[in-house]
Amino acid sequence: MNRKKILLVDDSSTVLLMERMILSKSPYDLVTARDGWEGVEKAKAERPDLILMDVVMPRMDGFEACRRLRADDETRQIPVIMVTTRGELQSVESGYESGCSDYVTKPINGLELLSKVRNYLGE
Amino acid sequence: MGRTNDTPGTGAPPSRPAERHERDLKSVNTKLRDLIASLEGQRQQYQRRRAEGTSPEPAPAAPEAEDLEKRRLQSELALAREALDQRSKEEERLRERLQEIEREHRRICDDYVVVEERNTDLASLFVALSRLHGTLERNEVMAAIQEIVTNIVGSEEMAVYELAAGSKELEPAWTFGVDGAHLPRIRVGEGVIGRVAAAGEPFVAWERTCAEEPALTACIPLKVGERVTGALAIYHLLGHKAVLGNLDRQIFDLLGAHAGAALYFTALHQRHGFGAG
Repeated sequence: MNRKKILLVDDSSTVLLMERMILSKSPYDLVTARDGWEGVEKAKAERPDLILMDVVMPRMDGFEACRRLRADDETRQIPVIMVTTRGELQSVESGYESGCSDYVTKPINGLELLSKVRNYLGE
Repeated sequence: MGRTNDTPGTGAPPSRPAERHERDLKSVNTKLRDLIASLEGQRQQYQRRRAEGTSPEPAPAAPEAEDLEKRRLQSELALAREALDQRSKEEERLRERLQEIEREHRRICDDYVVVEERNTDLASLFVALSRLHGTLERNEVMAAIQEIVTNIVGSEEMAVYELAAGSKELEPAWTFGVDGAHLPRIRVGEGVIGRVAAAGEPFVAWERTCAEEPALTACIPLKVGERVTGALAIYHLLGHKAVLGNLDRQIFDLLGAHAGAALYFTALHQRHGFGAG
């Protein structure tokens, strides 16, 4: 059986570690990137099944990274879940405008994240 | 799980009671249908003959044959009723079992949620501890404290106060989301933050805001052993985080016990010349 691959994009080691801990219960291959730029490059190289993307990051933020992913034929179809501390409506709207599929807010709720991840991976 | 076999010794596969009853009912149904068809045929034949005048009066049936037919029909009817009754009981039993399974399913789902929440809490505590003690660089420890407060507690406004050397005053050593230049030094014992440092006990605005410092959500004493070395002030929570929970209490305890120690270790590390370079 093919293991699903998830790309985690966040500049915070704390968040990456949290996401790893939460997702480690399921058999996923996890790849990480520390900013939006690296996230886009890793998405092209690794072709993940799903991307968890932070919003505020150095070099390139999550919205811009998401726009670039949507503009590229190779990465257009990859679902992107935004992981953000900014739960306000305006931020959520910006996320959807940039082409993200869904969002979760920090502090991360493990059940919510797992549920959305499984949903987008068709499990 | 018990299994039944309809035809013992024939090697036929076992069937379930519901299937068996369905088969019985179908059999009775077919027989009744045949009987009705037969009677209907006789009736039509009789009417036709009567219309033709060939047989104005039917020959009376022999009383024994009529009685026999009546008993056969009664017997079949009783069988059909019995099968129907059994099927109803089986349905009722299955319905109760289904409800039982649904209740069990709901209970397991509830348990799963509790376990997953506990897992996330433990993961959060583990992550917080790893981050605090994962470095001996002061700035990285401060960044770890900030990331823990932002990503686990849910606040983007905080200040770390440290006791100024040789004095009884707390001075802002690191801020995030608040203007550090405007934060005053605080005498130990004065104000909420000063009293936290004096008593070594955390302050948490669990249910209502603090009248003395409305912006303050929590203040945790930073300790090395029993000695207070500073305080972590956490101001407004993120908009979507309504209240503090049990995990936050545990994170505060952990920060109080480990953030101060982690900062102290960085100072020791620096003092003994193991710093950068």
